[in-house]
Amino acid sequence: MATVEKTLILVNKVGLHARPAALFVQTAARFQASVRVVCNGRQADAKRILPVLQLGAEQGSVLRLFAEGPDADEAINALTRLVQERFGDPE
Amino acid sequence: MAVGLVIVSHSARLAEGVVELAAQMTHGAVRLAAAGGMDDGGIGTSLARVTQAIASADSGDGVVALIDLGSAALIAEMALESLDAEQRAHVRLSGGPLVEGAILAAVEASVGSPLDEVLATAESARSLEKLKR
Repeated sequence: MATVEKTLILVNKVGLHARPAALFVQTAARFQASVRVVCNGRQADAKRILPVLQLGAEQGSVLRLFAEGPDADEAINALTRLVQERFGDPE
Repeated sequence: MAVGLVIVSHSARLAEGVVELAAQMTHGAVRLAAAGGMDDGGIGTSLARVTQAIASADSGDGVVALIDLGSAALIAEMALESLDAEQRAHVRLSGGPLVEGAILAAVEASVGSPLDEVLATAESARSLEKLKR
């Protein structure tokens, strides 16, 4: 199965911490596809909170997403929207 | 539903505060129960409160209990022993850090992970660095 790939820049102020990280993991977990996220030379399973927090992704960090599975496109689209909408935060 | 969490603390307000924080991450998807303070509201841990909290956090998928300090662990173990074997089989105690452990475990539970994964996540919160060095 093809891997769907997407590169994103983290635009929200606090980066992938606490609440945004929780939303990211909860969004990834809605899909069957496996999703990996690479940032700062580290790789994490997007459905696991601890590895996602340990990426240390901050505002301006580049996130590379790799999804594989029947709904990989939908998973990437949902995560892209979340990041671009700053996880619902005003800044 | 999801694995539930019990927050065992010597202070009722501390337990409620940790529940409040963890609830920010789960939006009602996870049962969170505070078991803080003595029955009269004073500082200490109450066996009755812990036992009740375990019952209220359990939706059938199991419960992870996190503890603050010292004798809270003893009381939590006593609460576990007071359960019947079937109930006890799906309750776990975590010695992980109370705040980080509760928040991470709440997120893990919210995505439907099974009991032992939620426990492992609570324990793994030890490795989370608070400060960048």
